[in-house]
Amino acid sequence: MSTVLTRLPGPENLEELRRRSLAEQGLITHRVRVCLGTGCVAKGAAKVFERFRQAAEEFGEESLVVQTKCTGCHGFCERGPIVVVDPGDVFYPGVKEEDVPEIWRETAIGGRLVERLLYKNEETGKVATRCEEIPFYRAQQRIVLAYNGVLDPTRIEEYLAAGGYAALAKALTSMQPEEVLEEVSRSGLRGRGGGGFFTGRKWRSARNAPGRPKYVIANGDEGDPGAFMDRSLMEGAPHTVIEGMIIGGYAIGSSQGYLYVRNEYPLAVQHLTLAIGQARELGLLGENILGSGFDFDIRVNRGGGAFVCGESTALMASLEGRVGEPRAKYIHTVESGLHGKPSLLNNVETWANVPQIILKGADWFASFGTERSKGTKVFSLVGKVKNTGLVEVPMGMTLRQIIYDIGGGIRGDKAFKAVQTGGPSGGCIPAESLDEPVDFDRLTELGSMMGSGGMIVMDEDTCMVKMAKYFLQFLKDESCGKCTPCREGIAQMLHILEKIAKGEGQDGDVETLEDLGRLLEDTALCALGKTAAYPVLSTLGRFREEYEIHIREKRCPAKECPGLFRYQIDAEVCTGCRLCSKKCPVEAITGERKKPHAIDLDKCTNCGTCFDVCPFSAVIKV
Amino acid sequence: MPTVTIDDKQYPAQQGETILEVARRAGIWIPTLCHHPSLEPYASCRICVVEIDRGGWSQVVTSCNYPIRGDLTVRVNSQRAVRARQGIMQLLLARAPESPELRDLAARMGMPEGTPYPTVTEAQRNCILCGLCVRVCEEKIGASAISLVGRGVERSVAAPFRMPSEDCIGCGACAAVCPVGTIVVRTHENDVEISPFKSRVKLIRCRECGKAIGSELVKQALCRRGGSTVMEMLAGADFCPRCKRKNVARKLTVLET
Repeated sequence: MSTVLTRLPGPENLEELRRRSLAEQGLITHRVRVCLGTGCVAKGAAKVFERFRQAAEEFGEESLVVQTKCTGCHGFCERGPIVVVDPGDVFYPGVKEEDVPEIWRETAIGGRLVERLLYKNEETGKVATRCEEIPFYRAQQRIVLAYNGVLDPTRIEEYLAAGGYAALAKALTSMQPEEVLEEVSRSGLRGRGGGGFFTGRKWRSARNAPGRPKYVIANGDEGDPGAFMDRSLMEGAPHTVIEGMIIGGYAIGSSQGYLYVRNEYPLAVQHLTLAIGQARELGLLGENILGSGFDFDIRVNRGGGAFVCGESTALMASLEGRVGEPRAKYIHTVESGLHGKPSLLNNVETWANVPQIILKGADWFASFGTERSKGTKVFSLVGKVKNTGLVEVPMGMTLRQIIYDIGGGIRGDKAFKAVQTGGPSGGCIPAESLDEPVDFDRLTELGSMMGSGGMIVMDEDTCMVKMAKYFLQFLKDESCGKCTPCREGIAQMLHILEKIAKGEGQDGDVETLEDLGRLLEDTALCALGKTAAYPVLSTLGRFREEYEIHIREKRCPAKECPGLFRYQIDAEVCTGCRLCSKKCPVEAITGERKKPHAIDLDKCTNCGTCFDVCPFSAVIKV
Repeated sequence: MPTVTIDDKQYPAQQGETILEVARRAGIWIPTLCHHPSLEPYASCRICVVEIDRGGWSQVVTSCNYPIRGDLTVRVNSQRAVRARQGIMQLLLARAPESPELRDLAARMGMPEGTPYPTVTEAQRNCILCGLCVRVCEEKIGASAISLVGRGVERSVAAPFRMPSEDCIGCGACAAVCPVGTIVVRTHENDVEISPFKSRVKLIRCRECGKAIGSELVKQALCRRGGSTVMEMLAGADFCPRCKRKNVARKLTVLET
């Protein structure tokens, strides 16, 4: 059901619409919520949704009102597609199209559980019906992601029914701009995009800057490999960002906002554009919002495919229609930014925190987190961990709690080696620091950084040299090329790492990498270049021996770098099926049928074909 | 008026001036490559970096565009600043090893010959991507015939689609500002060529002696921008300076007799 959206002249009309939406929702007795975040869609959730939608349409009985709706990312991406049925919040992971009739019949209509489809805890064997019972969710604190998995992001009425835009109404009708600013300052909110700058301080500088007009910008250019926090936020709860931006505009005296979204997030662009359109229809964007006299509007701009455009000055250049190249920040962008005017730029996750801070107060927000890192943070937990997905936890939770309690520990129960945080600007944190709290300052002290929230978990089979090489390759591709140190220096560092990974490393290579790292940190124009060396430097700091074994012994201890480890056939597992010897391109494998085979190391070229084809996993890396 | 202390000596400065401007006025040499006094600072080469005191910590900044907004303490010859500038030069020498201008600058910076780095990037021969050619063409000439294209190590300077530019007027300003002598103006029988951009513009030769004067399009641009009266300009524009002087001398002799 959809309401016709007409302009809300004042806050009382907003309240009335909220009550009406809530009442409409109350009429629905049974509900099937299907996650249509990009991850689940990639696993076939759209088809699942369609089957449920058809079933709901065909369902005739008057006494039961059933609704099927799409929601944003629940976060448990490892187990998608995710379907939740109300009443009861019954959680079904990994739903396939053929499971739909049974879930519909048994749970949606009949109120019974389909045991075989429920979440089962591998270790305890316990079955969970609701997501709170699942370890992945239990330890989380969802503030920013509260609406994901619950609301349909394409319907503003649902956001209203859940209390949306009440913060805006409160700010516009009962708070002065200065009071809004004070509340955000007191909350201790820090930038969620990577800089970790105190948000209130930035807002104050923007408010005090002379120059008109002022601009409000949301950075939705999320580019760190493995990071998808902002994507899920923009797809699943677009209004939280919009509401935050309007409140920010009110606080600093701006009437124009820009939402810069990377073009590779088409669903986010779609949902944000739709949300803005609906907000405009209700008069929550535009002139004289809720009769307050305050004007504000937002324009969505899509990125052109450059990681560097996540850097604030490059983003603004891109908004101006110029090439996305950073410029010096000796004069801050809050003073002179977009079109040379005062510009307040924050990450979308930062903006999404604002409505809750205004509604529930700075003290409430500051009750979560640590001394200097308040609130919660959304992390994308990926890599060699059992439960990959999006998690939102209070600052101060330890790495161990996140990786083991929520993440379920290392896949295959292998040994934890390190966790990479902060994306290409961050560093690796080894096992001895697992009990450290996750907050801005602590992660920096540990030689890494919070960054935008990416957490890549690595195990004993991950080569740190290869990992550093991966990030440098990424940065080399994404460097804008303007300044000498980044453009030339990254290429030089990558060249050295490639040699090391091929067994051609030399004495002095490590020192050269350190020199280049220091040069980039001192002389690069922007943060991309300045922090480009961190993945290399942090792995050198914690895993220097691994580099030295590559260089001196031409060996890769983690057995990842091709040519720097050997293949061997485990005689106890080998059945003598002869498949490997047939496939070996250099005929290096010999053996009689049904007897264990052996690889002639002199002939072996380390291509790995035998390893790939063996049906018994009898070929091992040594 | 703010005071800028450079290597322990104090100098007066204007609000909004750059560290480089103050240093130059004081006779202190800081190497530059992508800087040109008539163009907006671009700060891409990074060879002009110096160290500034931030009270408790120090920051390395580019002197060509760091604005003076109060008293400032600058170290041009601190170990950190010298090491940074030399590191940049070593990277540039790796990129453009054949450039005599770079080697001269390195020598002037007190560096030993050569560079510890191999050449790993070379999208464009002997180009250090300072951007001066692009900037002068856009800011001063107004033709914007060439641009920086591509991203990262594949970046190069070219006209759209790497085809001979339709907007180039063959003035050679790009060649004049190129700090490594990569851009060259060549005259052929009938045209002026800007290498390596492959632009060709009609060449004017002296009506009297046939010597090459310059680009037809430059003449037209000059006529458009005025200066002396148009007729006078047109009259003199087709003669080389020597023949022009001979013509004037002839006219004067005729008047006298």
